[in-house]
Amino acid sequence: MTALGRLLPLGRGRLAPRSRGIGSGWVPYLFLAPSLVLVAIFVVYPIASVVYYSFTDFDIITPAQWVGLDNYQRLFGDPTFWKALTNSVIYLVATPILIVLSISLAIVVNRQLRGIHIFRALYYVPAVSGSIAIGISWRWLFDRNGFINSLLVSAGILDKPISWLTEPDAILPIAIMLTVWAGVGYYAVIFLAGLQNVPEELYDAAEIDGANAFQKHWHVSLPALRPQILFVAVISSLAALKVFDEIYVLTNRTGGVLDSGVTVVFYLWKQAFVLSNAGYASAIAIALLVLTLTFSVVYVRVLERRWEGTA
Amino acid sequence: MLVVLALVAAACGAQGASPSASASNALPSSSASTNPEAVISDVEAGAHLTFWTFYLSPTFDDYIQSTIDRFEATYPGVTVDWEDHQATFLDDYRNAINSGTQPDVANLSNNAGWVREFAEAGKLLNMSENLPQEVIDTYYPNLFMDSVVDGSSFQVPWYQAIPVEIVNTQILKDADLTVDDFPTSFDGLPDFCQKIKDATGKLCDIRLSVTDYLAQMTYEGGVDVMNEDGSAFTFDSAEAVDWLQTYVDMVKNDLVDRSALTTEDDRVGLDLFNSGEAPFYQTGPQLIRETKDKNPDLYEQLAIAPFPIGRSGVIQPTSQGIAVKADTEFPRAAMALAAFFTSAKSQLEFSKIVAVYPSTPAAYEDAFFTETPELIEDSARPLAQGLIEKEQNILPTIPNAADVNDVVRKAVEKALFDGADPQQVLSDAVAQANKLL
Repeated sequence: MTALGRLLPLGRGRLAPRSRGIGSGWVPYLFLAPSLVLVAIFVVYPIASVVYYSFTDFDIITPAQWVGLDNYQRLFGDPTFWKALTNSVIYLVATPILIVLSISLAIVVNRQLRGIHIFRALYYVPAVSGSIAIGISWRWLFDRNGFINSLLVSAGILDKPISWLTEPDAILPIAIMLTVWAGVGYYAVIFLAGLQNVPEELYDAAEIDGANAFQKHWHVSLPALRPQILFVAVISSLAALKVFDEIYVLTNRTGGVLDSGVTVVFYLWKQAFVLSNAGYASAIAIALLVLTLTFSVVYVRVLERRWEGTA
Repeated sequence: MLVVLALVAAACGAQGASPSASASNALPSSSASTNPEAVISDVEAGAHLTFWTFYLSPTFDDYIQSTIDRFEATYPGVTVDWEDHQATFLDDYRNAINSGTQPDVANLSNNAGWVREFAEAGKLLNMSENLPQEVIDTYYPNLFMDSVVDGSSFQVPWYQAIPVEIVNTQILKDADLTVDDFPTSFDGLPDFCQKIKDATGKLCDIRLSVTDYLAQMTYEGGVDVMNEDGSAFTFDSAEAVDWLQTYVDMVKNDLVDRSALTTEDDRVGLDLFNSGEAPFYQTGPQLIRETKDKNPDLYEQLAIAPFPIGRSGVIQPTSQGIAVKADTEFPRAAMALAAFFTSAKSQLEFSKIVAVYPSTPAAYEDAFFTETPELIEDSARPLAQGLIEKEQNILPTIPNAADVNDVVRKAVEKALFDGADPQQVLSDAVAQANKLL
């Protein structure tokens, strides 16, 4: 038995007599109460409200009218919703790109080089910059008179500038690139923390076994980073499914021509706050909740099983 | 996910339960005022009003505050709590209604459809029924009846932004054109843009009314968007197809900047113009100050041209209105504030600060509107009264306007960017829109 293991039962034994008394069973709940009240107000009530409004015709300014399952029926027959869902799923491609780039960046900066702290701070800058400010910068970059076009035209790659942000096939890839660029520094910090916990002896052993630099990271770093990879995979995937800011700014609130950049959350926002269909938007929110919950559970299970199999 | 749910729920709070109150209910009387600016009698003593404006602070803080001070002096005992809301105005106003904190008086845009939206929902006071006739008579009738719902007006018209074309004379010069060559009608635009593009490579900076395609079809294309009894949409007529085809051809021939064409944000086109890359842009002369600030060199080369009249031959009003909460506790005081800000005197003072134009004929009797202006941003001033008199709202009330507009938007974008047949997409859109009636 470890020292900690021995201490725990003793601790419980010592505390137990003191916790007995009249009404003492309420004490934990008393301490929890402030948090529970806040959770009830800011989490439970909004969720319950959204569930209720999803069964109503509600335009925010007049009382909601009960319509049963109409909003959900509409959801299944709404081509824009399915397009938004497809776009959100396509957006998941950002996750593996983010993981690969973040791990690569973490490996690069996990060295004691002169000025490395400045470099680490620099790559983290996008993570602490406002998403709207980043979006506007990228809009300027991809504007018809922007930097990208100037570069491509002056290099002779393009004959004439392209309105990238009004090209239906371009808007989603640009938004994904933006997400990756803005997120890579943040996730790299998580991987960097993981890398710094890998015992140096493991790399030494791998080197003695003849591993080159790539093989050392493949066989030592990556297995050691499994918890971080799982964590990043889940949170970045959920973030991808909920993407809004990038699309909102890049398309100037329109979602792009032909709804080419519309994602589920953007569509939810548009239905609620542009078209005043808050009841329908609530149904979309519930669909998104079901999607993200299912996705999270399945994702975690699959990754855990795969790793258990390879362990 | 929780954030998303919370966002929706935040806008979905408890409904205000109080029913609409009629201003014709018996009202407590206040001391009669002898001030000629006190045009509303029996204002509730001790009334405290909340007043929201749209995008006027901080530039016009002094004007708004001094007008409020004058109002409070005119109606002693009445106080005003003023707030300016900007990009989130519409969301804020809807949420305020939902949470029972709708301001007593608010600056609502007519041509953005806000007055109609809230009037149809029964949230605004009927001005036709409640405002004294002598006050109604101070406004241009076409502007007072700008956003009519069930035959009544639910706002009083405030300032107007006369649409003009601001022109980059250098680009026109490079294309061997002058401002006098600027087309006087919508039909002349494609050729004009073609000449500019051929000579300079510059694209026209034209913006579609993304939030109100039916209005643009109506005024620009001369399209009857609904039948006479309002029972069916008709925006798939030959006129509508012709209007859409004009834009399809301009996009196909790469004559217009696509990023400005379909944006919801007026500033995209304005910024493009201010960058010196666009030959012209349609806007209000009050926004020329932005060109002056951001690109002084371009400002030196600016000219103004009247905007091209559409096939309807009518100019769409572009007025801001002031509306009163339907069930306000102080209807007389609220109407008094609305009338005070929109009086000839108050509006004349506002026009002297910025290039906006009054909704009251009496304001134009001042020499300020007949003098030859020195600054380019003021050059529309002598023309303003004539243009405002020609303004007319010919757009019928569109049920489920936002949803219908979204149907039309998709149709227009399919034709513009996906090569779809204009007739086909408009006919499909009419069928879809009719289901929303």
